[in-house]
Amino acid sequence: MTLPRYEEMWHRADDAWARAARPARTLIKVGVATCSRVVGAEETLSALRREVEARGLDADFMVTGCLGLCYVEPLVEVVRPNAPGVLYQSVTADKVASLLEAVAAGGIAREYALAVIGDRESGGLPALNSLEFVLGQVRRLMANCGVTDPENIDHYVARGGYEGLVRALQMKPVNVIDEVKKSGLWGRGGAAFSTGLKWEFLYNAKRQPKYLICNADEGDPGSFVNRNLMESDPQLLVEGMVIAGYATDAQQGYIYIRDEYPLPVERMELAVQQARERGLVGENILGSNFSFELEVVRGAGSYVCGDETGLLSSLEDRRGMPKIKPPFPAQAGVFAMPSNINNVESYTNVPLIMRHGADWWAEMGSEKHKGTKMFSLSGQVQRVGIVEVPLGTSTSDVVMRMGGGPPEGRKLKAVQPGGPLSGVIPASDVDIPLEPDPYRERGVLMGSGGLVILDDTNCIVDLCIYFEWFAEDESCGRCTTCFAGTRRMLEILRRISSGRGRLADLELIKLLGSIAQNANCFHGQGAPTAVMSMFRFFEDELLEHVERKRCPAKVCRGLVRYEVVHYSDRLPAAEAICPTDAVVRDNGKYRIDQLKCIKCDACREQVPYAIAVVDEFQPAAPTVTR
Amino acid sequence: MFSQASHNSRLTPVEPVAGSTELLARLSELIEDLSPDRVDLLKAFHRIQHEFGYVPREAVPLLAGKFRTTPAIIFGTIDFYSELRMAPAAETTVDWCSGPACLLKGSLNIRRALEATFECEMNRTSADGRFGLRLVQCDGTCHLAPLVRHHGRYIGPLTVSESIEWARRLTGDDRRAPPEDGARPAADEASPELAEPVEAE
Repeated sequence: MTLPRYEEMWHRADDAWARAARPARTLIKVGVATCSRVVGAEETLSALRREVEARGLDADFMVTGCLGLCYVEPLVEVVRPNAPGVLYQSVTADKVASLLEAVAAGGIAREYALAVIGDRESGGLPALNSLEFVLGQVRRLMANCGVTDPENIDHYVARGGYEGLVRALQMKPVNVIDEVKKSGLWGRGGAAFSTGLKWEFLYNAKRQPKYLICNADEGDPGSFVNRNLMESDPQLLVEGMVIAGYATDAQQGYIYIRDEYPLPVERMELAVQQARERGLVGENILGSNFSFELEVVRGAGSYVCGDETGLLSSLEDRRGMPKIKPPFPAQAGVFAMPSNINNVESYTNVPLIMRHGADWWAEMGSEKHKGTKMFSLSGQVQRVGIVEVPLGTSTSDVVMRMGGGPPEGRKLKAVQPGGPLSGVIPASDVDIPLEPDPYRERGVLMGSGGLVILDDTNCIVDLCIYFEWFAEDESCGRCTTCFAGTRRMLEILRRISSGRGRLADLELIKLLGSIAQNANCFHGQGAPTAVMSMFRFFEDELLEHVERKRCPAKVCRGLVRYEVVHYSDRLPAAEAICPTDAVVRDNGKYRIDQLKCIKCDACREQVPYAIAVVDEFQPAAPTVTR
Repeated sequence: MFSQASHNSRLTPVEPVAGSTELLARLSELIEDLSPDRVDLLKAFHRIQHEFGYVPREAVPLLAGKFRTTPAIIFGTIDFYSELRMAPAAETTVDWCSGPACLLKGSLNIRRALEATFECEMNRTSADGRFGLRLVQCDGTCHLAPLVRHHGRYIGPLTVSESIEWARRLTGDDRRAPPEDGARPAADEASPELAEPVEAE
């Protein structure tokens, strides 16, 4: 197949990328993505522009995506001709002047320098790939993240983009499906179903038109891997969906992005438009007979729209209530026509499989589960960010080494692997490999990759209340077992945390947990998973709440009380900060008015020596009764 | 193309009844190019909310007519999505992140403190209408946990004390006035060291 138009595009892209990869003069790269924008990356960028102009420096600028190192954003990379780029951490606008001072003098601004790009240390700085956070990662999906300009399709093309599509278009659709099946790629959204098999169902469906839908409604709180892919390398998703469209004989694709992600919506729309201008989306793609349209749809804030049939309902302009299966989407999906729904990460793996072949792709991963998987780390870890590791990597490697584990002096307590419906594993199991099977054995789902880490200052009952609240709040209201079951569960858990738990509650929770399995969609079925994990791994802590009315982590509001236990000169500060005037002074002595206290912890923050959190059942401090 | 909404096309949509002509004209203008046969209803909501800050009641019958469905279904759809509002937000609305990373780092304490400082419950507006608290979902900016957002600006990681001080600045209360019941004699105020040590347990 001759593709003259593509050749021309290829050359143009190479030129564009050469300017960024081998700059003739200093190039300043600023990562602008959601994670860096919220800490002022845009202000940094404009301050850099101003400062460079004011100093008359000879430099160009480039906006990149996110490298995944959210904990040191905003990141600025300074690349000089013929030298590796130097990465500067936490460069807020106020640091720009002193940074450029050093750069203008031809040196390195040591106080902000984090690492040099690449594998080798240089100039006394460690290599980026040797940092604990990065070492051990295999960046395939994230190869372009933080490296290329996400708003420039040429950068993507020059780095091997759309080669996979060219190869796919030269194959028969069935062979493309076979290649994907051979790779062993399974859906990254949480269900872990074979992607190739799913595509085959759609390919075999007889009716037209067929629809291809990308589930970018990354609703799991604490997960942000899809967000990073869409805002740092949006073309990867476009290419993946076009290949999938060709393989399954679909002509229309929708990318459904949640409302909370404005930047990914913006960048995906731009990416689709740029791809359309170059004949990579639309009529007769790359001169072939294949046509495929792609549209970005913005959600409006609903967790169950992340369920595949809920998403379908939402696309049909209705409440996003999950549908009853069967019929499965491959038979009757959106607008009752054959459809296929995959997660962002599933689609973005496809260009890599098609570009390098299924064998190359399957080199990574464990025996049973191939490929790499992205994980976001949040909660009680020192380094919050996004990593990409081969499936089967040990959980502790990711949590304790890359993430740095809990803050100094605290102990790991549990890990929530992916979303509020996934459950938790205890610290004693943290060595298990990151792949679905070991998690399933423990009654937990690996989910979509949002690792949330708990340490010993966190209470498991408190966390379960959060999960049940979330499940209740986001229930679509169809199944009684879900909308009423989660509400009852929440009531019982709140009762336990308020100190009125009874032993009979435990059986009641288990009963509710088993009834929940009768819900229609996974939202209802998965709602009690975390509570069941609590029974399995943290029963002692739960019983402590119920029998002794004591919260070991001193979190549950109904089981603790704030008391003045020592004298301190700083007690007036506690009095001043209290939002409810609960720190009172009688005859020169301080005490806490328990009727006014809302237990917000502000006073203890001010005077940690004098004010303590005590168990509710402990007798009142002597000075209070006097 | 087949559209689910066309199921109800035989129903006569309720005519727009309320609202000023300018408002209705502007609403119609906003949704003019949208079609019930495409995936456009959410787009219509977003455009209207972008323009007005909320979806006015008057838009409901108008949208029902446009998308060949009933006002009840339009209303139900708006109600279903948490990011869509049918009332204007308070002048100063603080978004409180409900995500797990924030929770584990003490966001519930911040919530209680903000509720007390603004004298306003979550997802409500204060009595004088000046302040509002809104619960929002995690958007993955967990390196700032626990955080609040205010007019698109992210503020975090916050301690409870910082959040109280910040909220007091918003309410114009730099330092809280002492209680008026005379519980604090002037002499005592001047010399806090007079406070006797409290015996430890």
